[in-house]
Amino acid sequence: MVNPIYIIILSLAAGFLLSIFDKSGRKLSLIVFYSVLTFNVFVIADWFYRFTVLGVSTLTINTAGFSAPLSINLQLGIQEAFVLLFANLTGLLAAIYLIKKFKESNISSLVLYLILIMGVNGLVMTRDLFNMFVFLEILSISTFALTILTKNKKSLSAGFKYMIAGGVASTFFLLGVVFVYYFTGNLNLDFINPSDFTNYGLIAIFLLSIAVFIELKPFPANGWALDVYESVNSGITSVIAVVNSAAIIFVFYKIMPLLPQNLLNIFGIAGVVTFFFSNLMGLKQTNAKRLLGYSSIGQMGLLVASIIYTIHSPNKLIYLIVGGFFTNHLIAKAGLFWITGIVKKEKIKDWGILKENKFLLILFGLLLFALSGIPPFPGFWAKWEFIKLLVHGKMFFVVGGILLGSLFEIVFLFRWFTIAVKGEVPSENPKISFEFSKYFSTTIFVGITLTISVVIMKYFYDFNWFQFLPLIAVVVLYFLDFIPSKIKGFLSLIAVGIYGYFLYPFESNLQLFFGIIFIVGSAINIIATLNRKNINKGFYGFLLMMIFSFGNLLIAKSYLEFFLAWEFMTISSFVLILRGKKAQKASLLYIIFSTAGAYLMMIGFSLAPNLTSNSALIIAISNINLPILVTVLLAIGFMIKSGSLGVHIWLPEAHAEAESDVSPFISAILLKAGVFGLFMVGISYINHVPAFDMFYWIGWIGVLTAIVGAFLASFQEDAKRLLAYSSMSQVGYIVASIAILSHLGWLSALYLSFNHMMFKSALFIAIAGVYYRTHTRTMYEMGGLIKKMPLSFISVLIGIIAVSGVPPLSGFGAKWLIYSSFIERGWYLQAGVLFFASAVSFLYLYRLIHTIFLGQLKYEHQNVKEAPIWFLIPQVIFMVGIMAISMYPNLIIQPLNSIVGNYFNSSIIVDGYNITSSLGNWNGNMIMFVTMGIFVVPLIILVLLNGRTQTVKQFNIVYAAERPESPQTTHIAYNMFAHYRKALGGWGKPRIWNFWHETNEWAHSLSGLFRQIYTGNGQTYILHIILYIVVIYFIMGV
Amino acid sequence: MIKKILIIFAMLGLFIVFLPLITNFEFSQNLSELASKYVRGSVDELNSQNVVTSVIVTYRGLDTLGEVTVLFLATAGIGFLLKKKNKKSKKRVASEILQTASSFLVALIVLLGVYIFTHGHLTPGGGFQGGVIIATAFLLLLLSDVNMKFNHTILQVVESFSGAFYVVIGIIGLVLTVGFLNSKIIPLGEYGTLFSAGTIPIIYSLIGLKVGSELTNILDTMRGE
Amino acid sequence: MIVALILGFALLLIGIYGMLSQKNLIKIVIGFSIADTGTHIIIVSIGYLRNRTAPILNSAVDISKAVQQVVDPIPSALVLTAIVIGLAVTALMLSFVVELYKKRQSLSIDDYQELKW
Repeated sequence: MVNPIYIIILSLAAGFLLSIFDKSGRKLSLIVFYSVLTFNVFVIADWFYRFTVLGVSTLTINTAGFSAPLSINLQLGIQEAFVLLFANLTGLLAAIYLIKKFKESNISSLVLYLILIMGVNGLVMTRDLFNMFVFLEILSISTFALTILTKNKKSLSAGFKYMIAGGVASTFFLLGVVFVYYFTGNLNLDFINPSDFTNYGLIAIFLLSIAVFIELKPFPANGWALDVYESVNSGITSVIAVVNSAAIIFVFYKIMPLLPQNLLNIFGIAGVVTFFFSNLMGLKQTNAKRLLGYSSIGQMGLLVASIIYTIHSPNKLIYLIVGGFFTNHLIAKAGLFWITGIVKKEKIKDWGILKENKFLLILFGLLLFALSGIPPFPGFWAKWEFIKLLVHGKMFFVVGGILLGSLFEIVFLFRWFTIAVKGEVPSENPKISFEFSKYFSTTIFVGITLTISVVIMKYFYDFNWFQFLPLIAVVVLYFLDFIPSKIKGFLSLIAVGIYGYFLYPFESNLQLFFGIIFIVGSAINIIATLNRKNINKGFYGFLLMMIFSFGNLLIAKSYLEFFLAWEFMTISSFVLILRGKKAQKASLLYIIFSTAGAYLMMIGFSLAPNLTSNSALIIAISNINLPILVTVLLAIGFMIKSGSLGVHIWLPEAHAEAESDVSPFISAILLKAGVFGLFMVGISYINHVPAFDMFYWIGWIGVLTAIVGAFLASFQEDAKRLLAYSSMSQVGYIVASIAILSHLGWLSALYLSFNHMMFKSALFIAIAGVYYRTHTRTMYEMGGLIKKMPLSFISVLIGIIAVSGVPPLSGFGAKWLIYSSFIERGWYLQAGVLFFASAVSFLYLYRLIHTIFLGQLKYEHQNVKEAPIWFLIPQVIFMVGIMAISMYPNLIIQPLNSIVGNYFNSSIIVDGYNITSSLGNWNGNMIMFVTMGIFVVPLIILVLLNGRTQTVKQFNIVYAAERPESPQTTHIAYNMFAHYRKALGGWGKPRIWNFWHETNEWAHSLSGLFRQIYTGNGQTYILHIILYIVVIYFIMGV
Repeated sequence: MIKKILIIFAMLGLFIVFLPLITNFEFSQNLSELASKYVRGSVDELNSQNVVTSVIVTYRGLDTLGEVTVLFLATAGIGFLLKKKNKKSKKRVASEILQTASSFLVALIVLLGVYIFTHGHLTPGGGFQGGVIIATAFLLLLLSDVNMKFNHTILQVVESFSGAFYVVIGIIGLVLTVGFLNSKIIPLGEYGTLFSAGTIPIIYSLIGLKVGSELTNILDTMRGE
Repeated sequence: MIVALILGFALLLIGIYGMLSQKNLIKIVIGFSIADTGTHIIIVSIGYLRNRTAPILNSAVDISKAVQQVVDPIPSALVLTAIVIGLAVTALMLSFVVELYKKRQSLSIDDYQELKW
């Protein structure tokens, strides 16, 4: 137990003597320097341990032998210890990071650094206002001087701007302090009575607080800070962004009890405004460090807002929210600044170089995820609880500002991430140099943030190991990553099996049904991934993470558990999509839309009434009367995930650009998560029907999705894009059927979901096989593959028959059920549109099979072989499945009937092979035989007539005359349905895509517009500060 | 133009912010409770004539330590920023009057400085004032002799050790468990004499030395430019 | 001493105006220095009590009635610290200006805006 005042004493003594020590060599001074910094960390860590674990009460340290108002006193409690632990630790690690610099540089830099850290300790602990001013100046002056640790024109001018801005702020602070003394006769925070600030006495408190607030870099009075972040040495920047900010935010926290409520409200709003605009302006930023600067400033705004708005909450919540934002932001920011110092690339577009250094890339990714508030990092929990709190307080504008700001942040952070993973390696290419000290600090910080994440999950929320599983999967497979891919694939298969075993006894059959889609479907699809060669780093980890989070969705018992699994699913699928060769843009679109959806869901869950039972959410929700706003928000969130019209534009990109054995997961299974969510909303809805018939509109959206998806699919040249749009269209059917809210409707939705899982998996895997052999996805470059890949052909044939809904396969049953349910409900127009959509789907299905497998074999495909065995196995399994439920539909209809029977009274009678609804009956078995009969007769005739057929030699047509420049475009399959497109006229324009494109452009131009205020002129920045003070004063109004 | 208007607007705004502070200002009739305690305590507890000094060195000693640190930081920062150059700059040689006067005055000025910081607890003055005065002596030297070079080692030793001793005196209080920077760790002496008020004169002397050497250092560094 | 208070605020405003309107880096620093000085004058004038003497309890003051006879020592103590800090900041600012000038041979603040947006 060491008196914390020794931190100040020792740092000062060492600081004073360091230049003497240096006379006997830098080694000695470095030893002293690092020992003192380490000493600080240990002292505070010891106290932190005492406060948190042993429950020691707050420590007050008097100086000069007098007690508080007479002398200056310091205070160390749990909050101070927490902040200081971080500040000192960051200080130490940043110093380690800078060790090379400190070895070479003037001794003064060590002195300045040491005293800077001392200043932070003093600033946090002191309870005296004027003493705060002194420590603030110590902190500022040492920082000013250290901004030129790497001395160049930029850092000098940034440093100067920083100085004059800091100078103005501290002048106001000083003025505030003395007027506080004038009005209260006291300088000690513990003895100042806020009620002494009557009337114009408030000006004193205003001056004091606005000065601190300016130091917190509010928008728009923060241009100087951005320049500093951009130009100063990364190590020092991390100190400014983390250590200094932590101390100043704590000063703000300390003076908060003095502030009147209306001023606090203004600061809260100002914080949110800062958060919003910083992130908006970050959109346009191309310089890595300046971007971090924007993000840093924004996060500080958020932190201020969170402190202000949580002030009346229980302690535990404050720790979670404020502590969460605090640690999350500071750790991630320091780590990212350090990485910019390692990578040494100013422009974000050059960050493709990072992929040559996998370890650094992982660190970068983790920190970036942490910064974006993705689980399990502290920022996620903080955001979740904070939004909940704000929503309960009905502060919807604040919520909107925060979430929209976060979305902007997601855009630029993930754009950066995708560039790092997929971007081009810059041509002039100095390798990333290895410096142990820099890696060391960064790694420690990543470790700490992960530890905190686990602590939060374990101790704040008491999650069990099942919720951890997605994370465990990634970690375990990270350590097994050296094993060859095939073995990992088998292990994953086993893991999924075991997981399914533990998951199995479900509380309801609906869960079981989706469990089969999610888990069994995934397991079969894993077989296709066994075809992978080599090591495939990271693939199985994230695959398992995704599969486990599917399962966790089913058994989630609370909104948070559900949302957690949902976010795990999103992030893992994002990483999987990003693995695709050209998936940079696709994955970015995916994560942006997913996050937007997730935010809507977050608001929705926050508004939802508390659960009353301890069952899984999907069951418990039936007793919950969700307000209409919640239903709408949740429904939009889920529909984004299922690719409904309007928010579908991520879907084709993601499906097409993902690796070909990942696409089946995305399409056949991931989309069903959205469907599952819609069912959840529906279950609450049917038990508490609100006045506004939301599902009527969802029904329309589903129907339109179905038809638009079908049309778009017909116009694709790329086989995977075609299948992607087909998925969109099919899920449109499902959504529309759910929206019917009747027994038959839900039955068809479930039936189609199951069906779609099977045939879309089979189709995507078949195309994966084709792509694997031909290396092209462009259909008109293929043809005649039927002879080379007959099994794949059969698989596609069965698949498309199942999709199209012609007899005899299962798709027919699905269509029959859907039309029946629509007609039963009286949605005739919708039924008509759907019918038309299935006609359109013939177009693309025909195109798919015709172009790839029929016609002439291309010259370059003469030596193509059948798809590898690992692709064929799952296809066969799915084909058997499709055939089975086609022949014996009651294999599936029977159980589905009982599942839906839990929600609606049954409207069909299942009798043997015959299924009767109010509109007629369907006998799958009989249809199968009849169709086969119809098929066999012409077959026999054709076989008999076979002698008369004549084979045409390949390229007959092309060589008959002049050879066109690109012969492939003369192929019939090229732009096959151009005439239909023409017929569509104006309807064929990509309006929705254009809409989002324009939105994006607008956001970026706004970003460009707003950031014009940062003219780079130091004087303008001062003007901003003065105007800011004046404006806030007038808003406050005395 | 827009900028000019904005500046005027900003200044007007600031004026309005400050106006109530001026118009409503009234002088207090009595010392605040805290100030009264200081006035009494300076005599009763610390045995020091100069109340301001008592407040600075003892009651708010931590501030003063910080203040010393700030000055020290500025020295370090300036040293860090302006690297010394040894190139001879062509400067005009000082006039004879200045040269003669300075050789005569320097010792006196230093003496005055020493007097002021050792009597900080008795008279208006103290370590900072004394230190500044000492530095002016060296400024005079610099002005009168363009090639004047100070012995940096001595400056540095004085600067470092005076600071370190200051801290050590503070620690003694801690060790004796009477509080960091307590000035009553040595006998308080007789009121109104040089050796009174405990460690106050010692601390002020150390501050004087430190400030003097630091400012000299700054002057010397800046001259190099 | 209300005059001093007004003077202090006037200096503060003048200094800030100087910082906002002068292009020359050195003049900006001078502006800061003026504003700083203004603040110091304000501090001192706050501690003033009518018809009282300095808080130095020598023979000029009746020690037993000192509380009724001296001005507030606290602002005086504060201002001393504030002055030293102001000096330190000003000195550091000036050395920045020197370095900036060495790099680009210009003292106009408009020449140092390559960092922006």
